[in-house]
Formats: sequence, C-alpha cells, structure tokens
Amino acid sequence: MVLDSLRDFIRGDTDGPAIQVEGLTERFRLYKERPGGIKERLTRFRRPEYEDFEALSDVTFVIEQGESVGIIGHNGSGKSTLLKVLARILPPDEGRVEINGRVASLLELGAGMHGDLSGRENVYLNGAILGLTRSEIDERFDDIVDFAGVRPFLDTAVRNYSSGMYVRLGFAIAINVDPDILLVDEVLSVGDAQFQERSLQRMADFKERGKTIVVVSHDLNAIEDLCDRTIVLHRGKLVFDGPAGEGATQYAQLMGTGGTEGVRHDDGSYGSGHVRIDDVILVDTHGTRVTSVMPSTQMRLRVRLTARQDIDACSVGAIVRGTSGDLYEVHTTWQGLGVGPLPAGATAVVDISFTAHVLAGRFWITPVVTDPGVREQHAVVPDAIEFEVRPAPGGVGIVDMVAATSVFEGPALRLGGIETTGPLPIVRADTDDDSETRAG
Amino acid sequence: MRAEPAGTTSPATRSLTLPAVQALRDKLLELWRARELLRQFVGKELKVRYKNSALGFFWSLLTPALMTVVFTVVFAFVIRINVPDFAAFFLSGYLVWQFFQNSVQGAIQSIVGSGSLIKKVYFPREILPLSIVLSQLVHFLLALLAVSPYLIWTRGWSILFHLPAVLVGVVVITVFTSGITMLLAGANVTFRDLQELIVVIFMVWFYATPIIYPLAMVANVDNSAAKIAASVLAYNPMTWFIRLFRESIYGVVTANPACAPGRECAEPFLASGPVWPSPELLVVTVTAAAVTFGVGYFLFHRFAVNFAKEV
Repeated sequence: MVLDSLRDFIRGDTDGPAIQVEGLTERFRLYKERPGGIKERLTRFRRPEYEDFEALSDVTFVIEQGESVGIIGHNGSGKSTLLKVLARILPPDEGRVEINGRVASLLELGAGMHGDLSGRENVYLNGAILGLTRSEIDERFDDIVDFAGVRPFLDTAVRNYSSGMYVRLGFAIAINVDPDILLVDEVLSVGDAQFQERSLQRMADFKERGKTIVVVSHDLNAIEDLCDRTIVLHRGKLVFDGPAGEGATQYAQLMGTGGTEGVRHDDGSYGSGHVRIDDVILVDTHGTRVTSVMPSTQMRLRVRLTARQDIDACSVGAIVRGTSGDLYEVHTTWQGLGVGPLPAGATAVVDISFTAHVLAGRFWITPVVTDPGVREQHAVVPDAIEFEVRPAPGGVGIVDMVAATSVFEGPALRLGGIETTGPLPIVRADTDDDSETRAG
Repeated sequence: MRAEPAGTTSPATRSLTLPAVQALRDKLLELWRARELLRQFVGKELKVRYKNSALGFFWSLLTPALMTVVFTVVFAFVIRINVPDFAAFFLSGYLVWQFFQNSVQGAIQSIVGSGSLIKKVYFPREILPLSIVLSQLVHFLLALLAVSPYLIWTRGWSILFHLPAVLVGVVVITVFTSGITMLLAGANVTFRDLQELIVVIFMVWFYATPIIYPLAMVANVDNSAAKIAASVLAYNPMTWFIRLFRESIYGVVTANPACAPGRECAEPFLASGPVWPSPELLVVTVTAAAVTFGVGYFLFHRFAVNFAKEV
C-alpha cells in the first residue's frame, strides 16, 4: 500500500496540461576567451570576460495532453534549447517550466551507448538512462530487439555494429520507453527508408494513443503530417503559435525566399551586432549571380559587411548545408586571414571562392562574421543564400568525385556520348548554357 | 567557490521556489528512482574494466600487492619501522587509501568526461561520480576478501568477530568518499585543471596520513617538528578513517614502554589484536562523513545547474 502510494507520488499526477512554460528565459555565456582553471583565476585576478546571449527570451505556452506540437525556426532560433529545457537537461534561468508525466527525449539516438558492451547490455544501460526500471526493460526487451533487427548480434560488442544497426537499436530503445511525453529532435532523418517509415508509423501509433509529442525539425512536411500545432521561434522569441499549416507559412516567410537577392537585415540574422552583414551574393567566375549550377562549378561568395563599432580583427566565414545537414564550413582565420582593423562605420567586402563538389540537390549558405577565434558571433544570417545543383550525367551520389574512366588493358568499346549512356541522360538535352557555366 | 559569479543570473527554477526541504526530498526521490541507472553504470564500470583482460580481477589486486611488497621491503627491512606484521599493518591502511584515491581520481573527470551524455539526456547527475565510488567499493571489498586469509593468519580469528565494526567502517568511509567526489567532480567542470592538481595533492596527502607508519610514531616523540606533524595528522580526516578501519581489522599500535626514547630497540612498537572503535573515533568519523556528504551534495547541485552549458 505504502509502496503504491509512494510510486504514484514519484510518477507525478497526470491531470492538467502536459507541459506548461511560463516566461522562460535561457541564457548562454559567450566567453571572449576560453575560461581557464584555477591557475588562470589566481594569476590574473579577474574573471574571464563574457557576454550573455539569450537563446530564449520570455517564452510562454501550454501544451495539453495528447497534443502533438512541432517547433520550427532557423538555426539558432532557440528551438533545440527549448527542447533541452523541456527534457530538463538545461534548468531555466528565468521563468517556470512544469511537466506532467513521464518524459522520454530523443535528442540523440544512442547517446550513452558504450562500445565495449554487448547489444544486450546496452539495451539495459540505455533503457536505464531513459528512466526504465529493470523489470520494465525485461518486458520490452523482445520488442526492442525485434524492432531494431539485431537479434543475431545481441552478444556482440556494439563497437562492431554497423552504423545502421547502432542507430536502429538506439531508436528502438527510445520508442519503447513508452513515455507520456515524447520529445524528438531531428532524429527521424536516420536509417534507411524502410526503417524511417516504421519509425514514423510508431510515432503515429503513439499519437493515436493520446500521448503528447513535441518535435523539432527542419522538415516542414514531416511536421505538417505529424503535428496539429506549431510553435515558431525567431531569435529566441515565440512569434507564432497555432495550426500546423499556418505555422509552416509563417516560417517560410521568415526564412525569406530569394537568398540571392541579398540580406534584409530584420530577417533572420542574429549575433552580437558589432558587425552587420549588409549584402551577400553568390556569383560564378564571370561575376554573374547564380542560383542554379552544374556539379563542381567554381563560385564565389561575396560578403559585404559594416563595422558598427571599432573592431580590431574579425573573421568571415560560411557554412554550407544540404537537406541532410551541414556539409562544409570555412572561416578566413582558418586560412590565416583576418579582416580589420575596422573603425566604426567602415565597410569591407570579403570573397570566399569555392568549388561545390556536390551532385544534384538544394544547398544553403549561412554567412557568419565572428571574432578571430570563431567563438563569438558578430553576425549570422541563417541560410542567406540558396542554390541548386542540377542533375548531370557522369556519376550519382552526394559528392562529385569527378571520375574519369578508361580501359587500361583489353579491348574498349565506344558506346556513344555520355548524353545517351549516363545515369541521367534526359537532363543533358537542354544544357547548352550549362556547359558554359561548368567550363567557366 | 561557486560556479557562477553572484548576481549575474537570478535562477528561479521550480526547485528553488519550493521550500528547501521539499526540493531536497524531490532530489532524493529522483535519485531513488534512478537506482537502476546507478546499478547499470556501476555494472558498466566493472564490466568494461574486466572484459578486456582474461586476468580481470587479478589486475586490480596487482597494485596493492606490489605496493605491499615494496613498502614491506623498504620499511620493515631497510628503514626498519618495526611494526608487528608490517604487511598486514600496511594493507589495513593502504586498501582504504586506495579506495579513496581511486574513487576521487576516477570520479573527478566523470562529469567532464560524460559531456555528450549530459548534453543529451537528463538523469540525476550525481549518479556519475557515485557510480565510480560504488564500482571502486566493489574492488575494495573484493581486495579485502582476497587478503582476509592472510589477515586472519597474522592477526588471528578475532577479526571475524569484529566484522560488524569493519562494515561500519566501510559504510562511513564510502559516505565520506562520495561527498568528496561529488564536490570535486562538480568543481572540475568550472576549474578544469583541478584534476591535475589533485594528483599532486594526493601524493602529499598519502604521506601526511599514517598508512606506512603508525600514528604512535609521531604521537610519542617529544620535539617541535613531531608536534607539528602530530597536529597535521589530527586535522587530516583520512587519519581518522584509516584508524577506524585499521583498528577493527589489524589492531592498535602503541609505542613499547620498555624502549627508552632515542635508543635502538628490537621492538619499538606493540600491536593489540583487532578492537572495537572507541566512541570518540566513531563520533568524529561519522560526523566528518555526514558533513562532507551534505556539503558535497549541496555544492554539487549548485554546480550542476551549469553542467549542460559548460561541459
């Protein structure tokens, strides 16, 4: 009896809204130098300098039980921070967060898996990390193993698992925790198509059973499919809270459309504000603006910036991402080049030349201006540039490896032009001007 | 020492708006709920340690065994601290010390070393240092079991009769060690060089604790240097914990009254058989352990607010 009531008390009562967030503010400390240890503290008689950065400011919302809510926003809008606060990983700096029910968070699949332990041992370890008792894991053990499809390898150290098996096991454990509230961060984009479908099916079942889901994603389609409601965050503030379809529209508006048109400053950029990014353009080697190119085209990103206060030195960089995540990052200081000194009001134009060795897809470039150590962000314009790489014959995949083939020994046969035998022959038909771009 | 400069943030977390007692109860309940995780972490520590070596447990006995041989040769035959059954005397202190030192040095980087876990999942953070302490406790108990035939052979069967006192000693020392490890593991997130500093501190601390020499050696000498040494030892908590353990498993070492000070003497020290700890010793060690644990636990939670941002 006593044990039962104690258990109820521990589980928490399940009446009332699932999640209540009131006036939530979360700050991060951006250090101007790496905070040292005791030695630095004693020898320099001062604390390391830092600036506070508000990742979330005064966010308030209520999520009722059984709702499924998508949180969307730019990189750096605070959506992952919000999820971490809901998962209790980050305690709120200000405000109040109240959660009713058992929470499982899928912030990273297989966080806490240990390579030296077997699959079986990792199921128990990971289950315990996610808050299951031993008997609860015993009950779910077969479901987990079958869902992940790793039964033949149960007693193999997970160090020897393929990355697919690793990820499947991680998801299988997390989804079988069977919480009241599930927090998910982008993790659905893992595994093969079949596994993804099964995972989505599991999430839908979960929703059917009246459980609460909070998802963070870039994938607006997935959010619209899964969620009834969206919350749009912009620079740490809640700017929209309502039906999923409307939220997606809001978000698309915030993202802006024509990245190559330059930067509208009130649109998505953030940073300390010591430097402003005035304009970003993407041009080819002739200096013509481009939005659609062939694989391995040489391009130049031109960033125009204005110092808003005296700057000794800063670094200009670019982060290129595709639909599956970040692909490349470069900063002038990584190449030994700084920009400055710039008195307040002075402008500078920085060129970053690069060759996009990627195959067909959509890509986004985020220009950033940082301090020379790439720690403090002066100005960031998320996804300011969007460009497309068109399909081209000669190879398929993600990276353009610029392959050339020849028969080294033995007879060779000329089958015709690559227009007719390449993997994507149709596209080649109307590409007269493309060969120009490519050669350029 | 605080993780945060005072006044820059005003934490108004749920736990702080409630009365402190209820906040503490919440935290302890949460720890209780996470006992399975603690068990799993301890199991992981032990498995990983023993999995990759066929000799497994043998390796964890190797250090105390070698140290015992070295110190017995040096102190019983070269420097001649003629304590009866020197190897048993040394082991009865060194095993406790090794448990303490391995726990602290292993746990101090437990938070910093689990950054990916701390940033991705929530669980009571004190589980990380506590799991190291408990896995070291398992080593400690196994090592104790392994040397017990030797101890019984040299110190007599009355050790078994004093087993309850040994167990009390183990519990008290574990509580004390847990307090220290939580404090240091939490502080190490802000002061990353603490883990290097602690290695040096432990080297000095080892010699400032009566492990390789009996307390009676300094207590009964009448000169100013020995007086200072005696007061250092009196304020060193490990002196008391070593005594608590040693007296119930080895005995009390006293200076031989038949020996005149300053003269060669065949048997300068006498040792009693295992005894029950004195009330004074119990009060001092239990108080020290409880206070250390309380302070360590409290400060650990103060530090823990920033773990996910700083690791």
